[in-house]
Amino acid sequence: MNNERILNLAIRYGFLVLLAGIVMYFSLAAEGFASPRSAVFVLQSVAITGILALGVTSTLVVDGFDLSIGSVATSSLMLSAYSMVILEYSALVTVLLCLTMGALVGLVNGLLIVKMRVPDLLATLGMMFLLIGLQRIPTQGNSIATGMRLPDGSIAEGTFAAEFLWIGRHRFDMFIEKLFPMPVVVFLLVAVAVWLFLGFTRHGRLMYAIGSNQRAAELVGTNVSRYKVLAYMISGVLASVGGILLAARLGRGDIASGNNLLLDSVAAALIGFAVLGAARPNAFGTAIGALFVGILLQGLTMMNAPYYTQDFVKGAVLVAALVFTFYLSSRRSSAGRH
Amino acid sequence: MSQTICEVRGVEKSFGSNRVLRGIDLAMRAGEVTVLMGANGAGKSTLVKVLCGVHSADKGELALAGNPYTPVDAADAISQGVVTVHQSIDDGVIPDLDVATNLMLDKLTAPGAGLFVNDRKLRAEARKVAEAMGLTMNVRQLVSELDVADRQMIAIARALARSPKLLILDEPTSSLSATEAERLFALIDRLRSAGVAILYISHRMSDIRRIADRIVSMRDGSISGLFDTQPLDYEGAVTSMLGHAMTDVDITPATNSAPILCLKAIKLREDSPPIDLVANDGEVIAVTGLLGSGKSQLAEVIFGLSRPIAGKMELDGGSYQPANAKSAVSAGVFMSPKDRASNAVIPDFDIANNMTLPFLGSFSRYYKLSDQKQRRASEEMIGSIGIVCQSNRDGIGTLSGGNQQKVMIARWLLKPGRVLLLDEPFQGVDIGARRDIGRHIRATAKGRATIVFVAEIDEALEIADRIIVLNEAAIAGEHINQNIDLAKLVAEVSGPSRSPALAG
Amino acid sequence: MFLRRQMLKLTGAAALTLGMGGVALAGDMPAPFDKAGEVKIALVRYLSTGDFFQSYLSGVETQAEALGVDLRVFDSRQDAALQADMVDQAIALGVDGIIIQHGLTESMKDAAQRAVEAGIKVVAFDVNVENTAIPQVEQSDYMLGKLALEQAVVDNGDNFTAGYVYVPGIAPLDRRDVAWEDIKAANPGIKQAAMFGTLDNPIANSVANQARSVLQANPNINVIFAPYDEFAKGVKIAVDEAGLTSDIKIYSADVSTADISAMREPGSAWAATVATNPAVVGEVSVRTLALMLAGETPDAQVIVPPTLITQDFLNAEDIKNMGDLGSKMPQFAHADVSMADWMPLPKR
Repeated sequence: MNNERILNLAIRYGFLVLLAGIVMYFSLAAEGFASPRSAVFVLQSVAITGILALGVTSTLVVDGFDLSIGSVATSSLMLSAYSMVILEYSALVTVLLCLTMGALVGLVNGLLIVKMRVPDLLATLGMMFLLIGLQRIPTQGNSIATGMRLPDGSIAEGTFAAEFLWIGRHRFDMFIEKLFPMPVVVFLLVAVAVWLFLGFTRHGRLMYAIGSNQRAAELVGTNVSRYKVLAYMISGVLASVGGILLAARLGRGDIASGNNLLLDSVAAALIGFAVLGAARPNAFGTAIGALFVGILLQGLTMMNAPYYTQDFVKGAVLVAALVFTFYLSSRRSSAGRH
Repeated sequence: MSQTICEVRGVEKSFGSNRVLRGIDLAMRAGEVTVLMGANGAGKSTLVKVLCGVHSADKGELALAGNPYTPVDAADAISQGVVTVHQSIDDGVIPDLDVATNLMLDKLTAPGAGLFVNDRKLRAEARKVAEAMGLTMNVRQLVSELDVADRQMIAIARALARSPKLLILDEPTSSLSATEAERLFALIDRLRSAGVAILYISHRMSDIRRIADRIVSMRDGSISGLFDTQPLDYEGAVTSMLGHAMTDVDITPATNSAPILCLKAIKLREDSPPIDLVANDGEVIAVTGLLGSGKSQLAEVIFGLSRPIAGKMELDGGSYQPANAKSAVSAGVFMSPKDRASNAVIPDFDIANNMTLPFLGSFSRYYKLSDQKQRRASEEMIGSIGIVCQSNRDGIGTLSGGNQQKVMIARWLLKPGRVLLLDEPFQGVDIGARRDIGRHIRATAKGRATIVFVAEIDEALEIADRIIVLNEAAIAGEHINQNIDLAKLVAEVSGPSRSPALAG
Repeated sequence: MFLRRQMLKLTGAAALTLGMGGVALAGDMPAPFDKAGEVKIALVRYLSTGDFFQSYLSGVETQAEALGVDLRVFDSRQDAALQADMVDQAIALGVDGIIIQHGLTESMKDAAQRAVEAGIKVVAFDVNVENTAIPQVEQSDYMLGKLALEQAVVDNGDNFTAGYVYVPGIAPLDRRDVAWEDIKAANPGIKQAAMFGTLDNPIANSVANQARSVLQANPNINVIFAPYDEFAKGVKIAVDEAGLTSDIKIYSADVSTADISAMREPGSAWAATVATNPAVVGEVSVRTLALMLAGETPDAQVIVPPTLITQDFLNAEDIKNMGDLGSKMPQFAHADVSMADWMPLPKR
């Protein structure tokens, strides 16, 4: 009985305790780690992957998976550059264009899965390749920057609108002047919204039901197809938000595959399984998972750890989180049964 | 014919503090079918698992043909001649391979099997095995293309191909039709005369009457009764299994109330006659029939999961044509489906969330779900239907089958509906829970029409005001549940071509 | 037969006239370029995404066009095995010459040898295929690093605290690293406070995240050596975000239109970069191959010299893009390497 309680506590709070321990360690070992500025840096470095991870989470909830988020984000990055630099649209139009693109990709993903019965991994893998290619077609594979020579020989005159750069670069005053960056605000807003939606509305609850037993959810009168499509649309829109922030931060349309974005955000969502012993995708856990990785990387960088240790550490955290989730939880459920 | 093949002496097994087997003594003799009866939780499955090497006994010993028998795992048990056909069909077959490969799977996994598969030889051998079983399907067909009953027959055929000393069949007829069951029984007869000892686990009285040489009843981890003098005392076996006599449920059939659901000339199949049926307010109708009689199809049509070939339905006098489950539910037609594990239970959810799933909208304030409302409503239900649990936060997986089923049915009692359909509500439910459910359904029947779809006649007798017999997608008989002519009822269930005695 | 040959000549001449503004005629060129339209060359690439590689490709294309030869581009997208297969494909296609652009020595060595055995002229750019028959075109990465660092010493004196962005194991970065080690050895006053770097996509974003942590942990850094423009972009984002624009100077290598606008932002921390025009490198690669096809033997190493580009110069000349840079800085637009009298040059 006593053992069982310890096990339960370990599953519930183990990961948070580990997080607290790591923060303590870095605070002592790395000078300047424990400061509001440093905290904001961590938040900023995880903001974009965090937003993407929340999108992945919403597809994981319906027992799906979205491999296309990284490429949706980079497509949104390219689209925003194309829209402002070449088409010379305003910031607002550009943002709307990107969000629409994300929703549309999500819709197509969802319809492929629900209507065409393509397995989720395959459908979104196909979409990933499609987008990686598609985002390069309008510029013939070139990055987009003001002053670039267009295929027809003219020079691109448009620039990134100041309002658009504001989304990625503005800092709000808080404790210290110009401390709190806009992308972090967006990340926190998205995290709270997804957390409320998945955890506290009937739509979220039905999506969890679909993920756990699709047939049963269908037989209580849930429109399974619609919710699945919705999950992929959330994922697509959030990925495009991530791309917008990325574009605003970089200030140009850099071609990139977005594979690192995909892997990092999937890792954050999976680490999230372990938080509070949820053993299932959840928005709070995903946000904590993203933070966890961000804190580790910040601390390691400040301690001059070489770049290759960072992937190693990410992998180690992910494996530890998966052990928390699957091994300990299975121990708990078997202990609970008898 | 009385040589003891397998002997169990003083076997005990505990999981934590839970003593599941408390000293079992049992002997299985060559050429004899021993039927093992027991309510859910009596320890039957644990005993089977000890015999087939999945669990090891804490205490006591096993002997096979006079030698000590201590299987280290399932494969070891099989190689020593103890072969088990488990209840869950999908554990027994590989759907993506063809029939021949499935039948010959053990040959392929046996040590010393060749690297390459000779398909022609494989199929020839498979054909022999299939013929011996009376299986007629093409051995090249994929198992996934077969129906459930055929898959079960393949699992059994494969078990037999291993020429077992002791064959354990765990509820093998639960998904078989009467014809297929009879094929299985014929096979068991043949094995019996060949000297194989058979341990047969079943609830079904019809099966037991047909094949039992002796009956062993289990209750609470012990043997509570052994019946081996002919004629077998079936009543006594049931009594010792339950610990009390099977009491008849008193039913006074409801009459003369307003019609709620009308089925008008519904045709389920191209070649079947139309079905007319009126379900009245406060009435509980049982639709009974064999597997394949059209029961489930009828339930699906009413719940909007499939469309009838012809005919129409009316609900409270208006036209009712549900396009899917969603529109059925919003019209007030609810269904608790069969096979709750795959069709109803949300394994990740606790009791309260499983129960309130269909009506989450009414447990919300604006857009936010009210946890408190959900808990309060499910707490009430837990009390009124009698769900045994620690609290409404228990994971659904921690409950016994009967209690899970209570949650699944309680789901549809939270809100007043017009029609409640229960498809095989007593599947995998022990007798106590079955009585609780039946009582509650009848107690709440006012204000709606209730239709229960069951294969077992005694379940129908226990719950219904009116019993409708389906056969070949047609109504074969209709009875008010009072002084029923059982022989006639059974005859209607079995259909004109079969003798009533067969189905018990 | 006669007619077809005439036609080819005509089209070849037409192409050259368009490309060259009529400076040279097909007839002036040695064989096989007297029938340039029948000469097929292949560019087999390992790396292709990024401004540098796009620009390199455009140089290859314009020089090939100026010569009037038929250019095929094979792009293995960082798949070393595929790149080797592509060399074999080019051999099968019956090309006259191959340019191998980047790649791994291990995978390309045998493939390059097969091409040489098939009688094909081969030039390698930025990859050592260990073959004496194959000249190497190189931009001098050591010189890139050295010129940037010398400018850093001119601007900041020989006494400063530096952050260094480096990912070991990448050949050009390793060669630039040698320059960094040399300058540190020669100037004991230069201290390296932190070394960081990553190649995670998008690189600038990932480097920015790291650089911010580094700047916070080492507030005394006043120079950052980021010898790759993606690194420099990331560092600049971090410097701007930390509000340290006026306290830190960034020295880098490589240049692109976007880099120019980043360097020219008001008060930009990006002080100088050193670059070889990738388009020029592309042109030199093709010219070297052309010399070999015409029967000449170029040096084993063909080095394209780099140019120092300072923020002050860009502002003074109001340079907005690569085109401006080429016209205002002739040594950047053209390298006098692998030239011959008959060699047509791309039109500027």
